[in-house]
Amino acid sequence: MRIVRFVVRRLLQLIPVLLGVVVLTFLLVRVLPGDPIRTILGPNATPEDAAAARARYGLDQPIVKQFLDYLGGLVTGDLGTSIQSGTSVGAEIGLRIGPTFELVVLALAVALVVAVLLGVWSARHADRAGDHGVRLTALVGNSMPEFWLGLVLILVGYSVLGWFPAPSGRVDPDTNLTPLTGADLLDAALTLNGPAFGSALAHLILPVATLSIVVVAPLLRSVRASALEVLHSEPYVAATAHGLRGRTLLRGYLLRATLARLPSLAALVFGTSIGSTVLVEYVFSWQGFGQWALRGLLYRDYPVVQASVLVIAFCYVVVFLIADVAQAVLDPRVQI
Amino acid sequence: MSETVVVGAARVGRFATVLIVTGSAILAVVALAAIFAPLFTGWGPTEIDPLGTLVPPGPGHPLGTDANGMDVWSRLLYAGRLDLGIAVAGVAVAVVAGTALGLVAGYLGGWVDDVLMRVVDIFQAFPTFILALAVAALVGNGTGNLIAVIAAVNAPAYARLVRAEVRTVRESAFVAASVTSGASTSGVLWRHVLPNSLTPVRVIAPLNAGWAMLTLAGLSFLGLGVTVPAAEWGAMISLGSPDVVAGRWWTSVPPGLVLLICVLGFSLLGEGLQERAEAKRR
Repeated sequence: MRIVRFVVRRLLQLIPVLLGVVVLTFLLVRVLPGDPIRTILGPNATPEDAAAARARYGLDQPIVKQFLDYLGGLVTGDLGTSIQSGTSVGAEIGLRIGPTFELVVLALAVALVVAVLLGVWSARHADRAGDHGVRLTALVGNSMPEFWLGLVLILVGYSVLGWFPAPSGRVDPDTNLTPLTGADLLDAALTLNGPAFGSALAHLILPVATLSIVVVAPLLRSVRASALEVLHSEPYVAATAHGLRGRTLLRGYLLRATLARLPSLAALVFGTSIGSTVLVEYVFSWQGFGQWALRGLLYRDYPVVQASVLVIAFCYVVVFLIADVAQAVLDPRVQI
Repeated sequence: MSETVVVGAARVGRFATVLIVTGSAILAVVALAAIFAPLFTGWGPTEIDPLGTLVPPGPGHPLGTDANGMDVWSRLLYAGRLDLGIAVAGVAVAVVAGTALGLVAGYLGGWVDDVLMRVVDIFQAFPTFILALAVAALVGNGTGNLIAVIAAVNAPAYARLVRAEVRTVRESAFVAASVTSGASTSGVLWRHVLPNSLTPVRVIAPLNAGWAMLTLAGLSFLGLGVTVPAAEWGAMISLGSPDVVAGRWWTSVPPGLVLLICVLGFSLLGEGLQERAEAKRR
């Protein structure tokens, strides 16, 4: 019950922040240079054409009216119409978010498992050769330009070894995959399409590897640090002194206490991974949300920019909320 | 027991020194190579070899040429000027602006604090790179703009950090003593609060400079930062990225490797400083 109250209170606190984000993006895209209309009209368009197009997207209205219309649409769940494509922004997001989620969720899952295993191992062997190796690897991973890593993996995995498909698209079109959620691996599994599943998996491996290598480094460092803290804590030392079995110590005392600190770190890392995803999608021509948002930004497609900024901010703050709740569930000392 | 603690502390100190020295050495080498680039190469950074584009590494061009026929080795050296320059300048501006905001917000409190911190909240509702992407796409590129972008996306974190420190320092006895003995607000801030609130900033700034280099290179890679023909590692990787599918490694692998090493230099330095600060606290 307390958790429900906490979540409701936090969601209410989000409203002013998100409203600030909405106002700020709305104003910024209009105040700063760049014109969405000029990008859709050809070079031969007359001023009358431009005025007509402007009127069609309501850009000739006073800015306050435009903002109120936009806000009214938001309340009813209408994110507007893309100036570039002329289709509903909400529908486009629905199409693009599935592939991106698949990429991010798989990469984060791989990164979390690797970070916990290696981090705990490293802490238990602190200041020995293996630990130094792990820490150095983490530092290198932390300094890695993800877009370059993606290119290197393509160079090795596709150009030299030929093990993986070319970095264009998410699934071989010959496999006749029926799109349901947009997450191709999931769709293939749901429609029991074996060839599509294999193809989607093959296309996923390199981008997921790229993203998880970049994401694992900061997680690994944090897991190691918190595992070290637990190893030196009084309850753990007491448990060791009582002569408990190694397995009980590891599972009951070390892992649980280490994991309790993980959610807030994972949320922070999720944030950086959103930024990396834009670059990784670009390298692998993933055609997901990141590439869509980037194009909207480049063409000054106001509704697309506004919607994608709002979606990212919303995901980001909600993930932090989820992390706080998860922390409270894992760690009984946390009062929310 | 106490003896092992002392030995441990000494070892931590030595390890921190190794990290700091290694990181600084890497950065010094890259900076010197960039400054004295003309000594190490006969080609200019944007000079085109009329005899060949995409020439593999060989005697005339130690790292080959790119799709425009420019010498990769020479561009690699010169690029350090823009990469290091923009990242360091951007973070420096962020530190100064963020510290000033955090100082004012933390010391004055009240509505000033509320307003400033809500603005910081909005900025921090975005991942750094996304924010940089949006700001860079809107203000356009150019060296000055890129420095401003790097500064704008990093300043909020410093504001928050310094504000938290200031709120602790503000409550300490020496500040109260100074206030009661009639010192002016600016005098107290400048002489007592500021110097005692900068410890975390000193540790974060080098790490931040490394991330700023990654941000800058990422922007350039997407065509929103430094653009070809200017020599910058991210832009070089971007230009070389189509070659990768054809198996040509020399246009994109070397600039990424140098970028990685340079960022690693900053990471090692920051890690060392952090270790030293923690050892001192214990």
